[in-house]
Amino acid sequence: MHLRPDELIDLAEGTGAELSATHLAECAVCRLHLAELKATISAAADVDVPEPSPLFWDHFSARVRQAVDAEGAPRRSFWTWPSVVIPAISIATAVLAVAVTLTRGRAEPGIAPLPSVAPAPVALPVASVDLLADPQSAGDTALTLVAELSSDMDFETAREAGLAARGSAEHAVTHLAGSELRELQRLLQEELARSGA
Amino acid sequence: MASSLTWTLPGTWPLRTVTQPMRPVEPGLADLDERALVEACLRGQSAAFDVIVERHRRSVYLLCYRFVSNHEDASDLSQDVFLRAYRGLRSFRGQSSLATWLYRIGVNVCLNRLSAKKPLSESIADRQFVDETAESATDRLLKDERGARVRAAIAQLPRKQRATLVLRMYHEMSHQEIADVLGSSVGAVKANFFHALSNLKKMLGGEVL
Repeated sequence: MHLRPDELIDLAEGTGAELSATHLAECAVCRLHLAELKATISAAADVDVPEPSPLFWDHFSARVRQAVDAEGAPRRSFWTWPSVVIPAISIATAVLAVAVTLTRGRAEPGIAPLPSVAPAPVALPVASVDLLADPQSAGDTALTLVAELSSDMDFETAREAGLAARGSAEHAVTHLAGSELRELQRLLQEELARSGA
Repeated sequence: MASSLTWTLPGTWPLRTVTQPMRPVEPGLADLDERALVEACLRGQSAAFDVIVERHRRSVYLLCYRFVSNHEDASDLSQDVFLRAYRGLRSFRGQSSLATWLYRIGVNVCLNRLSAKKPLSESIADRQFVDETAESATDRLLKDERGARVRAAIAQLPRKQRATLVLRMYHEMSHQEIADVLGSSVGAVKANFFHALSNLKKMLGGEVL
């Protein structure tokens, strides 16, 4: 069993393991390989690159400067743009939290079936008032807080704020059909029971 | 000093006339470290990028030259490297040195060029600017010819082997640094280096070794 390429490279660069050196002492084939590697390294190392004239460097810098000036300011990368990413994540989290809070408030065991949400756009104040009027929701501080915050917010304002953008979780929850909402309620109840909440 | 320079490069070098107003280096910029220079660029101080170019232009040019073996292409590729670096400056996070980051861009630019275009090796006449001090003309000529053969052989190596050999032999990068630049493992780098040297030996035979 001869030395592997990486072991021969380590030996040629003077960083080989002791085990490799021991093998080398006994193996003429590996010694020959190593000698050839060292000779090739030596030949390759002795090759210069023609050094350009000093004038070339000024010329080169000027060309780069021209190209950079034509380019304008360095571009802002989306993923390194905290002012975009952080608010986007915050809004998405807030929307999810509101959606879960609303659904959880409705999902107590033994509660009468939830009213199905109409597919047509529903103004938020109406939905909030209806939920607050529900005796099962009394004392739900999270729901009260959301209701107060959104009491003077109409649907358009909410939509423009991105709270119910098409494709968002909130949009999906508020546009579920009755059967879908009941299935969601069942799944959430199962999940809550499993986690002991 | 806001003077204007106009010059024409002599001899066999690319004959290009450049008229470009000199942009004076702002006081203190030349003393800044890499991270501070990058931040100054991002704040819109384009003079800071001039300093970066000045510090790294030679090593980037030499890297490109090792890949393409001719001045014209090496010069164009080096310019492309700096332009790409400028465009991507915001993605430089300082986890590696600016030199390593520029090498990474340089290797990618060169490898892309190699797959698109067969490199032209330079003629003996193109090498007239080599420093000839302390060597006789005959010695210099022999060394030049030997060097040209080795460079031509390196130019025949597969791309990854060539990149590995160039970075290891001429830029003294560690195996780990090369692995980072090429996106491979240390083991693969050592294997590529081994195969590059073996192929080089086959191509050169006994004429140079």
